[in-house]
Amino acid sequence: MSRFFKIWWLLTSLSSQVALRSSFGAILFFVGKILRFGLFIAFILVLESKVKSIAGYSIWQMILFFSTFNLIDVTAQFLLREVYRFRSYIVRGEFDFILIKPLPPLFRSLFGGSDILDLPILILSIILIIISMTKVGDINLTNILLFLLLTINGLIIALAFHIFTLGIGILTTEVDNTIMLYRDLTQMARFPVDIYRQPAQSLLTFVIPVGIMITFPPKALLGLLSPILIIISLTLGVVFLYLSLRLWNFGLKHYQSASS
Amino acid sequence: MKAYLLFAKNTWNEIVTYRLNFVMWRVRNLLQLLTIYLLWATITSQSANIFGYSKSEMLTYILGVSFLTAVVMSSRTQEMGENINSGDLSIFLIRPINYFGYFLSRDLGDKAMNIVFSIAEISLVYLILKPPIFIQTNFVFLIFFIIGTTLALLLNFLIGSLLGMLGFWSPEIWAPRFLMYIVLGFLAGGSFPLDIFPKQIVNFLQLFPFTYLLYFPMKIYLGRVSSSEIFQGFLITLAWILVFYFSLLFIWNIGLKKFGAEGR
Repeated sequence: MSRFFKIWWLLTSLSSQVALRSSFGAILFFVGKILRFGLFIAFILVLESKVKSIAGYSIWQMILFFSTFNLIDVTAQFLLREVYRFRSYIVRGEFDFILIKPLPPLFRSLFGGSDILDLPILILSIILIIISMTKVGDINLTNILLFLLLTINGLIIALAFHIFTLGIGILTTEVDNTIMLYRDLTQMARFPVDIYRQPAQSLLTFVIPVGIMITFPPKALLGLLSPILIIISLTLGVVFLYLSLRLWNFGLKHYQSASS
Repeated sequence: MKAYLLFAKNTWNEIVTYRLNFVMWRVRNLLQLLTIYLLWATITSQSANIFGYSKSEMLTYILGVSFLTAVVMSSRTQEMGENINSGDLSIFLIRPINYFGYFLSRDLGDKAMNIVFSIAEISLVYLILKPPIFIQTNFVFLIFFIIGTTLALLLNFLIGSLLGMLGFWSPEIWAPRFLMYIVLGFLAGGSFPLDIFPKQIVNFLQLFPFTYLLYFPMKIYLGRVSSSEIFQGFLITLAWILVFYFSLLFIWNIGLKKFGAEGR
């Protein structure tokens, strides 16, 4: 395990050096990400000033949902940034070099360099979650533990989505649009999926499980999630990860190294 | 003129060649439209009148802005910075064409394809969700809406071109564009009408060019602006177009003197 951590650390420090090579670009990306975060919070505040509650949720509950969305979405982006570079490895044949190295290719393709520019938003999200927790009222230790458990489950589903993308990438060379489609789907969960009408709500919860991934952790924190839904969430997380690994293995078996 | 029409047609053909790419892009657009539409459908269902907009006006704004995004915001100007950085600009310089005319043609080809798909998507959303829609019947507002959209289209082209010119000084062409997308995403009124913000903020924002890309034409369509506001809006838009146009010419000339065709 420590070997994997050392390799991840090495690859991340290298990719960080690349990201910070141009201070002009790094500053603009940093400002852009903070601005996007701040403007969306402003949007929620303006909305709440007129409607008092959205789908029954108060302002701090909405901020909790939005912060949890950012926590899961940005953690996935931070850790799994290498997936965004995977297409060029396939198209240019560089994936062959990854395959022959004494390192699991899935690990290399997922964790081959984290994006340091995502860290500020990650820290900001955690701070906002803690502030929201103090503002939304009664929260007990069980709810906090369930929140952490379901957040980890959300990250597992995010990981599965990324593995699916890699598998599809090997089979079709299509990566960029698939990953951006995933990003758009997760964007739908910036607000709790309860705001959407049926059948969109069920689709977003159980078929494309961004609801389970992002909306369920804060709902558990607020004590709004039944035990059966918690069990379904955890089961779906495991099933999703299993299916994604099957697709990855299927992709590897059919990889033809055509570009090298 | 024939050559520029051909450039527009070539861009259309390029899109058709990479069909999967384009279809995925449009699926993403549809998802983005649904996200924002469903949010506002929920909010407007709680109250008959929100931020001074009726349900039909607000949902028309959301659907209309989605169409306007295809018309105004779709662009190929991001390729300018890439051309400069890769040295490919030198190929354009020896051709008997206007570089900006070439990109304006490419923009039009791109827009044509996006408009076709956008109409199909909005029709699909309309047929499935059957939202109440506000149809503007006043011919004057419709004419002003078309003028406002045309000016917005030019404004966006000039903003995109100016960002492309950064390529003369920096290889970092994506970071400024990323920041611009974030600013435009909110301040152009792509997700909500800007007048949901307090009046002082709206008045301040109206001094900047972003509000005239989507928000202002859509407000004209909805007939929620007086004739003096339309006149003032057109005047500010034209002023920004002139400022950006002359800035572009100035920066282009300085940039060309600096251009070393590295990479070629």
